[in-house]
Amino acid sequence: MEMLLMGACLSVFGLAVACLAFGAATRDPKEATVAAPAVQKEKVKGAAVPARFFADPPPLPMAAYSQVPIEALLLQIENHVRLEHAAAECFLASPNASLLHSRTISTLVN
Amino acid sequence: MIHADLLEGLAQEEAERILTLGNRMVLTSGAELFHLGDAAECIYLVIRGRLRLTLPMRVRSNPQDVLVEERSGGQTVGWSALTPPYQFTLTATAAVETEVIKFPREVLKSHLAAHPDTGYTVSMNLSRVIGQRLQLFQAMWLREIQRMVELRCA
Repeated sequence: MEMLLMGACLSVFGLAVACLAFGAATRDPKEATVAAPAVQKEKVKGAAVPARFFADPPPLPMAAYSQVPIEALLLQIENHVRLEHAAAECFLASPNASLLHSRTISTLVN
Repeated sequence: MIHADLLEGLAQEEAERILTLGNRMVLTSGAELFHLGDAAECIYLVIRGRLRLTLPMRVRSNPQDVLVEERSGGQTVGWSALTPPYQFTLTATAAVETEVIKFPREVLKSHLAAHPDTGYTVSMNLSRVIGQRLQLFQAMWLREIQRMVELRCA
């Protein structure tokens, strides 16, 4: 039962990521030009870095998150909480500064 | 024998005696065990299944219950029942069919008062459960502060 639920959660999370990618890819270019300066800054930063196949994808602009369905957003928050929980547990098992600030794969902060 | 964080270090017969003080309950998937702000009269030991502990958060102007922690077999939930002001600070909901043992505060307190050695061990276990949660959330909170500093003060 738990395996089934985990499978279902992963499927929904995968769908949410696909929605995010699709939303970002199909966004109207006019919208991008009227976006907040912070978003434009992010885009400029991204353009300066050469694209690499194995590199992490550039972070999504905050505007893209408003296109994510609320259910998908809640799943992202849950996933983020679980990852933060796990990271904090790792820190408590072996307390040191680098583990305290270790990165996770949470889509909310990357 | 049920492994329970609150009963660690007790002799098996004493742990079993404590377990008989409670009542078993089975929650169906999605059933709420207690709600944020409710009077906390009982503490619960999860036997099997999984409980979601949530807090309300505004997501796009809508109030939503957001997962804070999960509790599974052998773990104690609802220690607010043993510490004033005896009010639950989270909402607990069964993620799947979940079995718990419910211990009314007064029953547990009078048993522990009558058996001080057991009371001491259970109190130490309770301190450990609360202390671990405090340390965990302290670390999580500091990670968020670090991210905020990176975002705003970079």
